[in-house]
This record gives sequence, C-alpha cells and structure tokens, in this order.
Amino acid sequence: MGVAISLRGLSHTYRTAEGPLTVLGGLDLDLADGGYAAITGPSGAGKTTLLSLLGGLEAPQQGKVEVGGQDLTGLSGDDLAAYRRATVGFVFQHFGLLETLTALQNVELAGTLAGSSPADRRRRALELLDAVGLAERAGHRPSRLSGGERQRVAIARALVNQPKLLLADEPTGNLDDDAAAMIIGLLEQVRRDHACTLVMVTHNRLLAQRADQQIPLDRGHIQPAPHEARLR
Amino acid sequence: MKWRDAASMAATSIRRRFGRSVLTVAAVALAATLLTALVTIAGTARTKVLSELSKGGPLSGITVAAAEADPSQVDTDDPKPGPPKDLDESIRTRITGLPSVKTVLPIVASVVNVIVPEPPADAEVLSRLPPFPTTVAPTTSAPPFSTVPRATVPGLKNPDPFPETIVGIELERASLMPITILTGRLPVPHSLTEVAVTQGYLTRMGLTKKQAAAVVGTEVQFGAPRVFTDSGQPRRFRSRWTRATIVGVVAQETAPGQFVVSLEQSRAARAWTASGSEVEGRLQIPTSDYSGLFVIAEDLEKVNEVRRDITELGYSTSAPENLVASVQRYLRVVEIVLGAIGAIALVIASLGIANALLAAVRERRREIGVLKAIGARDRDVQRVFLFEAGVLGMVGGVVGTAGGFATALGVSGVVNRYLTAQGLAGVRLGLPLGVLLGAVVGSTLLALVAGAMPARRAARMPAREAMEAA
Repeated sequence: MGVAISLRGLSHTYRTAEGPLTVLGGLDLDLADGGYAAITGPSGAGKTTLLSLLGGLEAPQQGKVEVGGQDLTGLSGDDLAAYRRATVGFVFQHFGLLETLTALQNVELAGTLAGSSPADRRRRALELLDAVGLAERAGHRPSRLSGGERQRVAIARALVNQPKLLLADEPTGNLDDDAAAMIIGLLEQVRRDHACTLVMVTHNRLLAQRADQQIPLDRGHIQPAPHEARLR
Repeated sequence: MKWRDAASMAATSIRRRFGRSVLTVAAVALAATLLTALVTIAGTARTKVLSELSKGGPLSGITVAAAEADPSQVDTDDPKPGPPKDLDESIRTRITGLPSVKTVLPIVASVVNVIVPEPPADAEVLSRLPPFPTTVAPTTSAPPFSTVPRATVPGLKNPDPFPETIVGIELERASLMPITILTGRLPVPHSLTEVAVTQGYLTRMGLTKKQAAAVVGTEVQFGAPRVFTDSGQPRRFRSRWTRATIVGVVAQETAPGQFVVSLEQSRAARAWTASGSEVEGRLQIPTSDYSGLFVIAEDLEKVNEVRRDITELGYSTSAPENLVASVQRYLRVVEIVLGAIGAIALVIASLGIANALLAAVRERRREIGVLKAIGARDRDVQRVFLFEAGVLGMVGGVVGTAGGFATALGVSGVVNRYLTAQGLAGVRLGLPLGVLLGAVVGSTLLALVAGAMPARRAARMPAREAMEAA
C-alpha cells in the first residue's frame, strides 16, 4: 500500500548571505494513496525543497505535512530518520550510490540502516538486484556500471525497506533516452507492483504527462490552470 | 546502524582511501614510535641508574651492621657505625616483626686465608680479552698458561696467601641483595665448593674488570684458621682448607669481602675458627651470630621508618634512601620531559587525523546526505567517522609502538656494547607492557578525540545534502 499526502500552508525559507529566501510559500496539496505525481517547474521553483520535505530530509518550518496520516511537523531528527527508513525510498538524479561499495553492498545498505540481519538483507538485496536485472553485476562497484545500471541499483536500494512513498529527483536527468525510458518504465512498474505512491521531480514535460497528477511549481507556488494538477 | 556495521563501513572507507589512510597512519605511527622509544629508554635508564645506586638490590634495602647505632645519624644514608654489638637470632626475629619490614636476609662474614693456585687466570680466555693495561696480553699462539713461567706474563700477579673475608649469604635469595653479576653467575645455593669473587680479587690478580671472565673456572683455596694451645706447648695454628671454583665475578655491597659464598660455607669457616682454644689462644672472632642483616622495607617511603625502628633496637643502619629519592626526582623530570616530547608528537599526529577526516567529511557530503536520506541517524554517521578515526589511531599506535620498542631494543644493543666494552654490566630492556599498552590506547583515544569534531560535523550535516549534490 502507498500513502496519501496532504500539505497545508507549507512554507519554507532558507537563510542566505543575501537574506531570507522563501522557496515555498503557503503550499496546499493533496496526493492520493498510491498516486503518481510529477513536480515540474523551472530551477528555483522549489521542487527539490518540496521533495525534501515530503521525504523528511528536513523538518517543515511552517504549515503541515501529513504523509499516510503521520504529521511530519515537529518530528525530531531521529524520528525523521525512522520515517525515512520505514516509509520513504529515494532515487536521486546522480544515483547517490556509495562509490566504495559494490552494487550489492549499496542495496544492502538500506537494510543495514534498518537493522536487518546480514542474511536477510543479503537475500533481499539479491532479490531486488535480480528484479531490476542486475543480479550479474552485484559485485561491481558503481564506477563499473553504466548510468542506467546505476539508477537501477538505486531503485533496488530504494525498495529494500518496502517504502510506501517513492521519491525520485530527476531520475532520468543523467541518462540517455533509452536508459531514461527504461528507468521510467521500471519506476512505473515498481509503483504498480508495490502499490506505493510515486512522486517524481522532472523537467521533462513528456514524462510529467505520464503522471496521474502534475504539480507545476514556480517561485514556491503551484501554478494555476492550464498547468493545474489533474487526475488522470 | 549497529556498531559492527559502522565498523565495516569505516574499514571499507579506509581501504578505498588507502593512500591517505597510510599517510595518516604513518604520522600516528611515527609519533607513537617516538613516544614509546623515549619512554622505554627513559624507563630503562631509570632502572639502570637506580639499580646502580642500590647496587643491584632493592631500592628499599637497609644494611644493618653488628654495631651500635648513633640515633643522631638515622637520617644519614651512610652513618659511621658505633662499637660492635652482637646481632643474634632474637634480634633478627624482632627486626623481622617490625612494621613495614618485608624481608630480612642474614649476612655472615668470616676471615680466612686464601691461596690462589697456578694458574690464577685462564690463559686461553685471557688471550681473547683486552690486554693488560701496562703490557701485551698473551696470544693464542702462546703455550698453555700453566706451562708459561709467570714472568712471561707481565702484569699478571699470583699473590702469596693472604687473609680475606668471605661473605656468606642466602644464595637462593641473592637476587634481593645488593649484588650485581659482572660475569658468570653466583654459586648455587648451599654450595660448599663454589664462590664468586669481587673486583677487589681481580685487582689483586692485576686484572681489569674487562678481563673478569679469565678468572671464572679457576680455583681458590680457603683456610679457616684455628689456634691450638696445648699446655706447655707453644701456640699452634692449623687451618681447615677447602677448595672452591670461581663461578662468577660480582660487584657486591652486602659486606666488605672479596668472596661471596653460601651461608653454610661461611658459617663452617667461622665455626672452625671459633672452636679453637679459649681465652688467650683464641683468635679474635666476632661473637655475633650475624655480621650484618640486609633488611628490605615494603617500599622506599617506609625505609626511614624502618631505619628508625631498628635504631631504637640499638643497631646501626645504612641505606641510600636520600640519594635514591633525590635521583628519582631528577629521573622523573627527565621522564616527564621525554614523555612530553612524545606526547606532543602524538598530538600533532592527531591533528593530522582531524585534518584528514575533515577533508573526508567535505569530500563525502553527498555520501553522508545519501546515508541520511536512506535512514541513517546522526549518531550512525558519527559512529562511522569515529570508527575511522579510532582505527587509524589504533593501527598507527600498534605499528608505532612496535617500532618504538624495536628502536629501544636497537638503542639498548648499542648501549650494551658500550657498557660491555667498558667492563660494566649491560642494561636489560624488559617488555614494558604498560608503556606499550598505554601508547596504543593513548593513540586510539587521541585519534578518537581528534575525530570527534569531524564526526560531529558529519553527523550534523543536513540530509538535504543528498539532494543538493544530486
């Protein structure tokens, strides 16, 4: 099962040398349980910040973020870490694989942090690598994998703890067209197979159109129609 | 994240950054080498110096003379003894029962006549040893010593029979007494046929300390004198002769005398002399059971207290307590200075660890962010970096400690060669487990302290770094 997401009056401001910079200004948003949303918008629109807040990478400053009924507002650092372990799977544009570890070890890492036994996490990691078609490359380090393969390893790692919410930040940003198509197909299949909610940041309009719901952001606000979010 | 997993991640990180890790470990190892070597050498030097001061015996040793005490000199290391005063078994028992007294060792000295046989030294050994100070040593091509007329070995003396004191001690506890073996060994306990000689004997032979080995294996004869005075007959002297093999050369401060023998041998000689005719014919021998006692206090701090107690019993004591205490203070200063130099080096090396880890934190911002994004807590990240620091420090400490001990061994080898060449007893470098363990633990702890700040910085790095770098 996935999770429903509810944002109410979500604002976020960063302190910069030039003064406070508001990146999200009073966002209200609802995402359906098991839904597929694409966040789009130009650079500086607040896409990554929104993804960070949904993923519990930082605590909301103002407003309310509710994921699967859990209010993330006011959670401590450890609570947010527990939330990330139990609920969220991340896929990054630059894959986020640890270069010092093999593909298998990278996938196992999420299980390690969740406290799984070595045998369990090894078995789970091998299953997932097999599922993304990389069982043969389990012992290879990221530097010996192609971009598409790295992203498949990253997706396998994101799935280790059976997340209810899969967050992808420009997952095809560093891939060629074929690899990008394969990764998008894989993410959509994962969403269907695991029935999780998928939120993806992308600059690619075509990709965004494949989502159930588009969230066009600009300067911290959701843009009105015709770019308004719609359910497919 | 479990400790084991953190350790595994740290180990992986160290392996992947092998060059930097090696350099960091090398810095710690060099510092630990310096620290270990300096402290070990200082400790060994301290032991050697104090051993020289106490003449090989315990630092808390007190010599009790069979003489009256002068209470005003109880604080003097080496007071002048008063008139003779018998030291018998009852006094020994009372001293043994004094507070803070650990052990009491008896000393029985007897005057004997000594005959040095031909040859007085082993020619073959002598030929391999340094030459006589004033002449040329016999060569290996020379005929056996026993066939060489004495005149052909200028400088070597074969003195006429002479009176000398044999010092009887409990040889099984000789290690507790102020005796240093220069060459060979001590007689076996209770032996009546073995003897160790002092440097005075060598001097009498015309030998130097460097030539001490030449007398080992040769024999001497001891004649305990006795007087017979049959009525109407002139006084007659007879001696009870015993033959003994010299098994070692020692420096000893137990009692004046050139021969160290078993207590039994000295007592037998004394008994023979004492059983001679009474009154006018009897030799002047001490009536005391013991010519002295060697008392060991529980520790150096208790020496003065024990000396005062013994003085109250009426006996003169001597102990190098003031000298030892004074020298100890100076040695402590030297140790502190040398230890501080090593410690400073270790601190500098720790700064290297801190620097390396800070660089690692900067380089691994994205990695740290990713770890957090997939669920790592602040303390998980901190743990990984602390492990890394600890491992670098510990490996450096182990390597450096081993290197330091090896360096100290090398230095002691050089020092020993010098001391041996000077005819002195060498130093023995023990295994200073405390120093070695302390250096390893200290290196690890310092590394952990040095790694604490980078580790905390890594732990506080926001999880959002994973997104920003991506």
